[in-house]
Amino acid sequence: MSRTALAALLLGAALAAPAVASADTSLTAAGSTALLPLVKASAEAYQNQHNDLKISVTGGGSRVGITQVAAKAVDLGMSDILAKGYPDLVDHRVCVVGFSVLTHPGINVKNVSKKQLQDIFAGKITNWKDVGGADVKIVVINRPRSSGTRAVFTQTIMGDVPVSETGLTEDATGTVITAVRTTPGAISYAAFSGTKKFEGGHYTTVEGIAELSIDNVAPSEENVQTGKYPIWSYEHIYTNGVANKDESRFLAFIQSNSAIIHQLGYILFRDMKVNETDR
Amino acid sequence: MAQAVAVSETRERKAANSARGRRAVDRLATGALWAMALFVVLLLALFVCYMFYLGAGSISWHFLTGLPSELTAGGGVGPEIFNSFYILILTLLMTVPIALAAGIFLQEYSRTGLFRETVQFSAESLATVPSIVMGLFGLLVFVQTLRWGFSALAGAVTLTLLNLPALMRVTQEALAGVPATYREASMALGGTKWQTIVRAVLPSAVGPMTTGIVLISGRIFGETAALIYTAGTSVAHGNGAYDFNPFHTAETLAVHLWYTHSEALIPDVDRIGNGSALVLLVMVLIFNVVARVVGRQLTVRLTGKG
Amino acid sequence: MTNVRAAGKAHRTERLALIVLRGASGFFIVSIALLIGYLAVEGTKLFTVDHKSIFEFLFSPTFAPDQGHIGALAFILGSLFVTAFAIAVGGPFGVAVGVFFAELAPKRVASAMKPAIEVLVGIPSVVYGWLGLTLLVPLIRNTTGSTGFGLLAAGIVLSLMILPTVVSLSEDAMRVVPDSLREGSLALGATRWETIWRVLLPAASSGIGVAVILGIARAIGETLAIQLVLGNAPVIPAGLLSPASALTSEIVMDMGGAAQGSLLQHSLFSMAFLLLLIAMGLIVLVKLVARKAA
Repeated sequence: MSRTALAALLLGAALAAPAVASADTSLTAAGSTALLPLVKASAEAYQNQHNDLKISVTGGGSRVGITQVAAKAVDLGMSDILAKGYPDLVDHRVCVVGFSVLTHPGINVKNVSKKQLQDIFAGKITNWKDVGGADVKIVVINRPRSSGTRAVFTQTIMGDVPVSETGLTEDATGTVITAVRTTPGAISYAAFSGTKKFEGGHYTTVEGIAELSIDNVAPSEENVQTGKYPIWSYEHIYTNGVANKDESRFLAFIQSNSAIIHQLGYILFRDMKVNETDR
Repeated sequence: MAQAVAVSETRERKAANSARGRRAVDRLATGALWAMALFVVLLLALFVCYMFYLGAGSISWHFLTGLPSELTAGGGVGPEIFNSFYILILTLLMTVPIALAAGIFLQEYSRTGLFRETVQFSAESLATVPSIVMGLFGLLVFVQTLRWGFSALAGAVTLTLLNLPALMRVTQEALAGVPATYREASMALGGTKWQTIVRAVLPSAVGPMTTGIVLISGRIFGETAALIYTAGTSVAHGNGAYDFNPFHTAETLAVHLWYTHSEALIPDVDRIGNGSALVLLVMVLIFNVVARVVGRQLTVRLTGKG
Repeated sequence: MTNVRAAGKAHRTERLALIVLRGASGFFIVSIALLIGYLAVEGTKLFTVDHKSIFEFLFSPTFAPDQGHIGALAFILGSLFVTAFAIAVGGPFGVAVGVFFAELAPKRVASAMKPAIEVLVGIPSVVYGWLGLTLLVPLIRNTTGSTGFGLLAAGIVLSLMILPTVVSLSEDAMRVVPDSLREGSLALGATRWETIWRVLLPAASSGIGVAVILGIARAIGETLAIQLVLGNAPVIPAGLLSPASALTSEIVMDMGGAAQGSLLQHSLFSMAFLLLLIAMGLIVLVKLVARKAA
């Protein structure tokens, strides 16, 4: 008798668990660490206003976002790059983000040409003195394959030139900045949302790093808007199929909050004077 | 003749010399072994002290119970600590019954035979599977194919597979330590085999078994690689931070230590990392002490001897 | 009558218990069979479905699956190297400390030191990695002028991590050597060290072999402790101080972003399968060594 009861209880629990799961609503987002600050800040703000939706947000890189939303392991996949080859995924574009080329401040270089940049990342130029800077060995810091930031950088700067892998590889936008700050001679690439902070109405570079101009064009918001600065991309959030009610609500919340978008270093669509296709 | 004496004298001198030399080597080797052992223990002590030195400043009530901060400094690890315990309990709920049953079977019922050999070899093989390989398996099977998503359950099932062999061995060893006279006495009184196991054998095995379970719990608590892509790397921020739903993503403290570093979005990564590392270390120490104390107490209470 | 019924019930309980116990035992066989089967199928798709050569996978240093290159040599070498480093440093050290506990340590000293060693086993690998990152990497960076990340840092962290395994297993191995050997050697006038070196160590050699093999098994599968300090460059490292990758660290870096059915995913599964094969191979080796001793 007690054994039957126990079995019934276990069976009940097993059946009830998914029911509980679907009863309260939760959203999970993963992917691009360039877009992460915006989605995290939006999730925090949203949950402070509404308590009917649990939102958890994590990074991993753009390809993690695309792969996991395609596998339905998460609800929202954040990405710096287009999800090619995934017919089921629906694109929700959120904003535009620029990417800085950042260095350790001790190298005494403020500007490089696109060609020099290619040579540095290809491992052909290995000392900062060869581009007019201090006599310091160059340490190239890359993002892993899962990174959309790396894909955008490769696409806009490197073209067909292969990237040298002998330096360090860092998981995320945040770690790239930490690594550049602590490694003499380091160079890497990261989204404005990581390299800049918004204070007193304008952007400044975060402490401990320097941003490079490319062909004398500074990595600024204006230069991205006009298309003069080359490294930028649309930020996408993908849903698997048409967004459901909760997903739509949260997506609309992110897109509508232009103050947060601007303050975190992203660029609003309405400020863009060029299209991604023009680049 | 004189020559022979000389030879024997040299031999003796040589022998005396070499005896002295051998004793010197002996002393030297003994000293070296002592030094190495002391060095290891000293290293450990230094380790622990250094972590306290790093992490002590991070620890506060707010740190231990507060919500993690997404972008700004000053977050806590409350939900992560909760999730670590939650996943630990889910894992034990699945691991203990299976490992206990299998351990009893191998130790009490099937001492020889092909089935036993196969189970034993399976367990040993399972024990060597690297945790990242198990994590990859968990991601593909539980998270993606079974559609559980990044969830406490996916993490717990992965950890179950990872820890079953150790727990089974603990059971086997505990049962092996029970004197044969207990079994014989119970059988002589007319008990069936199962009754003997439940009434006579298990009670005296509970002590060492508990010790083993608590020690393994320490390992489950600190497991990271297998959980990153099964239980996930995030917690919800709102009212859902303490979340009993096994289908929700559940970042544990150990994962948090790795992930906050590898995301590095908050300005006080080091503070959170140092604090988390210290909490993990202290938990391991507590698990170790509890394992010893509880194991001894239970043995005394259930068998009436120490 | 009641006796018969009670006996019948006892009999039924007995049968049921046996079914449950057998089932639980069978679960182990099913689990490992499924795991091996799954990884074997997924791990060979690189060769069966994508028609890449095993030779390229094992011996090519170029890993760029999006361009069709699937060489895993850099990761294989990284794994082998850090493991070899850990065994070369942690192995002798571990055996020495094990010998110390078994042969030299006074009881009081042993009972004070051994719990400390056992705590080392329980410390999560991510905490080792964290310590490596905050203590070892800056130390190496400041003394050598390199980035601090690389094989050296990972090797040192791993040496420490395998230590407790080697210590406790080699201590066990020494303890099972019969006392008659010890007494005989001492009676013949050998010093304690000569007894250890010439008599006890050879007698315990297979047990110590097992200790070292299980240390290797622990090292080769270790992930986060080394991922945090390796620097994760997917290339064959130029030296001890250059950033490197291992099979495990590569899997953890890329598994989340590997699309279903992609070349990258298949490569990662091949690496996981390779790790599994190595681990199982080591277990078989342990069995062989133990059998030879018996």
